[in-house]
Amino acid sequence: MTDLVISRNFPADPATVFAFVTQEKHLTDWFSPEGMTVADHQLDLTKTGAWRATMMNADGQKYKVSGEVTDVSPPDSVEFTWGWHDEQDERGGNSIVRIEVKSDNKGGTEFRLVHTGLVDQESADNHNVGWSSSFVKLERMAK
Amino acid sequence: MTQITQAFAALSDPTRFAIVERLLTEGEKSAGDLQSTAEISAPAISRHLKVLRNAGVIHQRTAAQKRFYRVSPEAIQGISAWTMSHREFWESSMNRLHAALMKETTRK
Repeated sequence: MTDLVISRNFPADPATVFAFVTQEKHLTDWFSPEGMTVADHQLDLTKTGAWRATMMNADGQKYKVSGEVTDVSPPDSVEFTWGWHDEQDERGGNSIVRIEVKSDNKGGTEFRLVHTGLVDQESADNHNVGWSSSFVKLERMAK
Repeated sequence: MTQITQAFAALSDPTRFAIVERLLTEGEKSAGDLQSTAEISAPAISRHLKVLRNAGVIHQRTAAQKRFYRVSPEAIQGISAWTMSHREFWESSMNRLHAALMKETTRK
């Protein structure tokens, strides 16, 4: 089991960041990698209960993920379970995502995302550096 | 899935892989420029380019009687998404969250 930790500093106050992280109308703007859109979704992370999102790329390929919001402590943290679905809509291994926000005392927000219970290092880490760095280059060229 | 399968099949050849790698790092190139990627004949290069084009991995453009080739962003995006790790998934999403927050704070 490997933990994945991502820390960021955002130039907005914690209450705003928390709203963007938990409210459906904001989540659909960012909750998928570049080049993808959120198609079908039930993404209210402001309260405990089931959530799901289907992401789609330009080719129409779909990636579905779902889970359950297990804890919401506004305006500090939210925790939810995470599992990808395969083509037969079978849900795979369950992992846990916890997001914490707190003030950086400079008007911004310290953001921390911890994804635990991932099956192995490869699943947590970047195992395709070559392609993704090429991808970034390509994006720059495309602009 | 078929598009990705075709892309991987086309890229399974070392020469074609090298061509795509070169186009990714150096941008658009003519068929003539690409010939130096591997020590092979012009007809062989055009055969490889045709395979890549049929698989949707590269695009072709004609200008001043020369043919130019560049990598298809959609094809790379497809491969990138297919091989994406959780870290890449979150990093890329976080970039978008950052952009959304920037938009929000400038609006205020």
